[in-house]
Amino acid sequence: MVHLSSFLLKKYHGGHVVIRLALGGATNRPFYRIVAAYNKRARDSKYIEQLGSYDPLPNTQNEKLVAFNYERIKYWIACGAHTTKPVAKLLGLAGFFPLHPMTVTEAERRQKAALTEEVKTDSQQQVEQKEAL
Amino acid sequence: MLRALSRSPAPVVRLLSPRTAVWVETVRGRKSRTDPKAKSKLGRIKTPPPVDPVEMVVLKERYTEYNLILRALRLEFKEQMLRKKYEEEVGSVAEERTKREEEEHRSLMALNDAENLRMHKIREQRMQKEAEAEELKKREADILRQQELENYIKEKERQILQLQEEAKDFITLDNLDQRIEEALDNPKNYNFAIDKEGRVVKRTAFQR
Repeated sequence: MVHLSSFLLKKYHGGHVVIRLALGGATNRPFYRIVAAYNKRARDSKYIEQLGSYDPLPNTQNEKLVAFNYERIKYWIACGAHTTKPVAKLLGLAGFFPLHPMTVTEAERRQKAALTEEVKTDSQQQVEQKEAL
Repeated sequence: MLRALSRSPAPVVRLLSPRTAVWVETVRGRKSRTDPKAKSKLGRIKTPPPVDPVEMVVLKERYTEYNLILRALRLEFKEQMLRKKYEEEVGSVAEERTKREEEEHRSLMALNDAENLRMHKIREQRMQKEAEAEELKKREADILRQQELENYIKEKERQILQLQEEAKDFITLDNLDQRIEEALDNPKNYNFAIDKEGRVVKRTAFQR
């Protein structure tokens, strides 16, 4: 593996800044840091700045904690940083961005699935009742 | 037929026809290039998940709206940042900063001057005291020197007087004969013994 020293890694060809989740934590216990990093860097390696964190496992109050540094996020987006899908979804849920279309569609799909399940169980109950009679 | 299809707008084609079934034939995972396909997977044709056209239309609309809003947000953030930068460097913030710095500088200079004055006064006092001390020392040194000179003179005079007194007993050419006769007449005998307690014994062993 070629280990380039820092003064060789100053400029990437056609790279851009990304706001993404960097994974940390331990086995069976993930923890994400919301991070501004260059696109070509490894997921967990040196980043430019940490802009927040996201804990995917719910805590004792059944909440998933997310932290954002809105000032710095504004700065990086103004400088032309892209966001990845999960970061965009989280920001949408937080209210900083508009709600991501996929969150809405996923919610709709789940609602529809729940409805069909209900209808199915209702119809099953009806059939059972008829048979019992 | 193909040309007609290609001339028709692309999203309609994508919406109505399913995506091509076989998108990627092989994906490198656990197996190397030469490993054969697993027996259970020989007749498998991978198909992508089915797309609901109604949902797709709605999704496309939502996406265009979302992208529009995002783009607008991005440009607004950029404008805000540029304005902030401008203000900091050129505008009101810079002026306030220069004013504050000037005031700080003035106050600091005033403090410095006060400190310098105080130290100057202290130094003046110290120098005075030192000058007085030096004068005292000089005077004392002078006195000492004077005294030493006088002592020296007195000592010399005493020595001179002593010498004068001794000179009376000197042997000169005139006294020479007289003194020789005197010396021959009184022979001095240095033969004596003395013990630790200071008893002098003049008479020694019997002499011939």
